[in-house]
Amino acid sequence: MLTNVFTKTLRDRWLGWTIAVVCLMLLILYGMAVYRQIDLSILTSMPEAYVALIGIREDVDAGGLAVQAIHGLYGAITLAAMALALGASSIAGEERDGTMGILLGNPKGRTYVLVSKAGAMVLLAALSVLILWGAVYGIAAMLGVEIGGLDVEALSLHMFVNVLFYGLLAMAVSAWTGNRGAAAGVTTAVLVLSFFAVGLLPLIEDLKELVKAFPWYYFDGSEPVYNGINWGHLGVLLAGAAIFGAIAVIGVNRRDLKGQSVGVTLIDRLRGNPLTRKVIGQLAGSARVSSIWLKAASEYQGLLLVTAAVMFLMMGVMMGPFYKAIPEETLTAFESLPEALIALAGGGDISTPEGWYQIETFGLMAPVSVMVVTIAIGAGALAGEESRRTIGLLLANPVRRSRIVLEKSWTMTLYAFAVGFATFAGVALGSLLADLGMDIGNIAATCLLQTLLGLAFGALALILSAGTGRTRIAVFVTIGAALVLHLVNGFAALNESMADMVQWLPFYYYLGNDPLNNGLDWSHAALLAGLAVVLIALSVLLFERRDLRQTG
Amino acid sequence: MASVSSAESVIEVDRLTKHYGAVVGAQDLLFTVQRGEVFGFLGPNGAGKTTTIRMLLDEIRPTAGRAAILGLDTHAKSVEIRRHLGYIPGDLALYPNLTGRDTLTYFANLRGGVDWSYVNELAERLDADLSRKVGNLSSGNRQKVGVIQAFMNRPDVLIMDEPSSGLDPLIQREFQNMVREVAADGRTVFLSSHTLSEVQRVAGRVGIIRQGRLVTVESVADLRSKAMRQVELELDSPAEAALFAAVPGAREVTVEHNHVRLSFDGDMGVLLQAATGLHTIVDITTNEADLEEIFLTYYHDEEVTD
Repeated sequence: MLTNVFTKTLRDRWLGWTIAVVCLMLLILYGMAVYRQIDLSILTSMPEAYVALIGIREDVDAGGLAVQAIHGLYGAITLAAMALALGASSIAGEERDGTMGILLGNPKGRTYVLVSKAGAMVLLAALSVLILWGAVYGIAAMLGVEIGGLDVEALSLHMFVNVLFYGLLAMAVSAWTGNRGAAAGVTTAVLVLSFFAVGLLPLIEDLKELVKAFPWYYFDGSEPVYNGINWGHLGVLLAGAAIFGAIAVIGVNRRDLKGQSVGVTLIDRLRGNPLTRKVIGQLAGSARVSSIWLKAASEYQGLLLVTAAVMFLMMGVMMGPFYKAIPEETLTAFESLPEALIALAGGGDISTPEGWYQIETFGLMAPVSVMVVTIAIGAGALAGEESRRTIGLLLANPVRRSRIVLEKSWTMTLYAFAVGFATFAGVALGSLLADLGMDIGNIAATCLLQTLLGLAFGALALILSAGTGRTRIAVFVTIGAALVLHLVNGFAALNESMADMVQWLPFYYYLGNDPLNNGLDWSHAALLAGLAVVLIALSVLLFERRDLRQTG
Repeated sequence: MASVSSAESVIEVDRLTKHYGAVVGAQDLLFTVQRGEVFGFLGPNGAGKTTTIRMLLDEIRPTAGRAAILGLDTHAKSVEIRRHLGYIPGDLALYPNLTGRDTLTYFANLRGGVDWSYVNELAERLDADLSRKVGNLSSGNRQKVGVIQAFMNRPDVLIMDEPSSGLDPLIQREFQNMVREVAADGRTVFLSSHTLSEVQRVAGRVGIIRQGRLVTVESVADLRSKAMRQVELELDSPAEAALFAAVPGAREVTVEHNHVRLSFDGDMGVLLQAATGLHTIVDITTNEADLEEIFLTYYHDEEVTD
């Protein structure tokens, strides 16, 4: 085995995985501690349809809730995303960095490089799942939470195979195309689509069976934490993972490896065509390099387009008609639910369209979508130029460091508002198409808060980027902070004794005042905006003072 | 370009020091570079050349000491300095998605414009293709884009860190012409390199740096006048190394059978006498040392005195 490729991959990746696992452990600890204090007896008396909808069993207890809702949901998604990132950059990343040549200059084949990287992925996934498995038992014992009835081993095994499925899918695309963005994009799309399909399709009788076409179904469709290992489902995932592995091996061996080169895009072709040269030259060439912020904007325009399109179409427009398609009796079952339960399900009362949009769109995806863009820009803005070693040339020009920070913050702000606007337009159109009668002003208010929240986290990434010059630290710490704060905020809403604490959490100023129903609380908007401004200002100070890094 | 201050010293480095924790990047560097001068900054990899240049550019801040360019403090007046500066970083990296022309446009915009006819002239001289994406260029062709962006604003001061790496010999020659023209124009060039032959061709003075310390600053002519010769003798019979090592000024004597090779800065007559006492000289060649050998000599001395 290529011990060096294997160990180098581990060395490059262990920090991210460790942060992810530690965050998840904290969440499990926190979740169990909070759920322990909640009276869950209400669950036993509620309608079965609701139970099925939010994916909680009626006989659930604190331990089950923590394990299933946190470990089985956030844990599975987080680890799948980590494997996805590793898989996507496995081969394509080396090609982009121009290190593939020197790697293969050694007397080892491409297959061995690939297998070494896959081996590192398997080890990281296995260790993470094992540690979390142990953590569940350890934390439960520590807090005295009963989890004897749960099959944590089955869940862990399902999770492990699920993680490999997405990691190897990304690796297959990466190895076949040499395009890291395509690998990450395709795999993320499969993950997100199938995750939502598994959540939404069962709500509609006619579409129920379709769910089997989506891989996430084979992870938790059989509820392994209650029902044990489903070997059939596991077999489907394993077969998929094996096929992806084979595709990766064939793919990397069959094609020409790329040097440290850049692909030819459609725009490049248009720029080369005499008919379109002039117009496209203006649009894609001289315009995007006319200033620092425009150049940053052009670098992230693909990410913005995809994110905005997903928010507009999937999370916005489609959710309206989908809501209409949910049978009436399913909805009426919710009207009489206790408030605590509604809070548990994400703060939305699904019997109203506002509640529906709150759960499906605004609860998680809306802030995540803005953060994807703002964190990418915030983390990449300064540390990215340093790790790509372009900062020296940029600063050879008569521009202040502060101007670079401010111009890139401007790009980040514009893009945050663009995603917010796409969400607004999508939800408003969805409401209109399905005749849900939601208040346009309130939708706008919610999207403004969504934008500002995302901007605040982008500014956190920016300050870490400005202070450390390390993209990875900026990305991982910000995502970790966002994840933990989001869940703490969710739990705090359930617990009387934590009501005061909630005001210290940025997420409170996003949905805390139920803007979809109550409209905009300007003080909340001002607070989030102020947080972003302060963080950006501090970024300027930090970046001005520091020695620039020469390498990543 | 705006006119610069009339001071003769364009770059003044005053006890400039940079420590990275316990590691010394640069220690008490002290030198000045005059207007219209090409100053070569020589040292092996890791000697502190790039650290020094990055302090001049205000990318990193000195632990102690200060430096000024055009009479302006490199930290406090960095932006003002950079209006008059052209720079090629060592290990040049550009934005792979931009074409050469896009790249130059970007930097030109940050400076408020550029004379494109001059850019095109530079591109022609260096045979640079500005229409292709930088990421798809070979490292030499990428370096050309870097060279053009440093020269294109006709800066008063050019600071270049290993600028000709990757350029082929013909282009290197053209580049050296460009450097000479800049100096002839009364502008100033600070050139770091470990390619000594290049510096020798264009520089008037050189500073030699080693392990973060300046070993010497001398004119190329002075260095050469002190220079060692390489002497090779072909004798009629096997020789003893000790015989030649005993001659004052002889160094690094190697003997292989009848063949003697040594570095020599003593009296040639004494050397020949020593040789002809026991042997007959069949053939003799001497070469004036180039900077390469001077350089090695300096290191040799340093090691001896360390």
